[in-house]
Amino acid sequence: MRKIQFIIAVLIGMFSVNMVQAQDDLSPERKQAIDSLALEKVRDLSKYISIIGSKTTPWSEANRVIDRADELFMAGAEIGVSSISRPEVAYYKVRQYFERLMRLNYDRVEIEWFKIEYVSDLQRQPDGTYVGVITIFQKFKGYDKEGGLVYEDTTKKDITVYVKRKETQIGGRIIGFWDVLLGDMRVKETSK
Amino acid sequence: MGNSSNRIALGKLVFLRIASFLLLFSVLGLEAQNRGLGNAQVDETALYAMTKQMSQFFSRFNNEEDQFGEKLHPSSQEWRNQQQRRTVLPLLFDNDNPRTSGSLRDYFIDDLTNSDSSFLQFKGGRWYAEVSSTFLHQGEEVQIVLILMIEKENLGSKWVLTNVYYPAFSRLFPAGEIAEREKHFLHPMSHELDFMNIYKAFQRPEVIEYYASGNYQPDYLSLFFYEVKKGNLKFKSVDKLKFHIFQIKNWYFEVSWFNRSGNNTGWLISSLMYVTENEKEKLLMFYQP
Repeated sequence: MRKIQFIIAVLIGMFSVNMVQAQDDLSPERKQAIDSLALEKVRDLSKYISIIGSKTTPWSEANRVIDRADELFMAGAEIGVSSISRPEVAYYKVRQYFERLMRLNYDRVEIEWFKIEYVSDLQRQPDGTYVGVITIFQKFKGYDKEGGLVYEDTTKKDITVYVKRKETQIGGRIIGFWDVLLGDMRVKETSK
Repeated sequence: MGNSSNRIALGKLVFLRIASFLLLFSVLGLEAQNRGLGNAQVDETALYAMTKQMSQFFSRFNNEEDQFGEKLHPSSQEWRNQQQRRTVLPLLFDNDNPRTSGSLRDYFIDDLTNSDSSFLQFKGGRWYAEVSSTFLHQGEEVQIVLILMIEKENLGSKWVLTNVYYPAFSRLFPAGEIAEREKHFLHPMSHELDFMNIYKAFQRPEVIEYYASGNYQPDYLSLFFYEVKKGNLKFKSVDKLKFHIFQIKNWYFEVSWFNRSGNNTGWLISSLMYVTENEKEKLLMFYQP
């Protein structure tokens, strides 16, 4: 009896070790699929930033989009902002950052995204969640009432991406899926 | 005669490198318009050329991604291809610094591309982050350097503190004159007198460590934790970040962030030294005591 118990214990142990290894070694194809999911979220974010920042977006619409943008992030995520003239990092909560963007004191703004994005390798943190960083670049221009350009910058945005394997039940069947959430974002002005 | 043919061969090599460098960026410049999420009508060549993350530094160093930053499949011929690596590696150096753009760099690249084991590994150890930070010490701003490394834990890994450099701590433990050090000891029969002479060790607190073992090394990280726990040191900001990499056999290099215009920007090699593995052990004592 003890022998059988021992064999069962060893088999369960082997199975769980295999599960861990299988998860740890994501195939390049799987990694690519996860990268695409993460990029989709970042593209949503960049779209939302453009809408929130635009002076032609009605106040109520901008607030609705802030809610959508906020939902992309994990609770407690922060945005750290620095510029060439002010290298000290200013920290903002996600919602606070968007609200500041909405209230910027320009008559007209232009927010453009460079056609470039860089996705890091995914690394696992101790609890098994995958973490990566996606880098995108933004060009911002602020104009006054007379239509004169009063401020412009190009910023590099490094966005943390958390990817976790989750399960859900659909029609009695358990379906696995990858849950992607954005985390802290570092906004750094690049040289002009 | 031998020298002149060597010079011609070297000239050809340099020309080929410059040509492939220019070719790479002209291709990038043309192709840049078709990729990514944006709509900005500007030249993005510089952003493609920039080594945007340390993750990209590793990938470029190992030739594990293409010129657009797309990961190469490990089964593809280009993945870790040494010939291509020879053209990518020069882009990872600060070209404005003669110490990282001269012949030492070429020797390094030769060494790297002639060995199948000279690839960087994220979880391979022996690479450290140097985080220059500002703290408040009893209300006054002080600069403290934090050293961190990647450590494996459970299912993944994390950055951990391995050492700190704070001049005020170092000043607590001056090397001292040998003659002076030799005056301070407890004689070997002190135990027979119930250590009645031990009070002498505490008479001059500034040299109390002379009474410790010859192998004693002050643990600055514990001192740092103590001061933080006591509320004497309060974190204010991160000022600067660089990386020290010891993974490549007989080489050490430093990687820093270069925020400037042009195509030689981002995370680049800012210092390069030939250091034997024996010499490295001594250097590593600072990073990971």
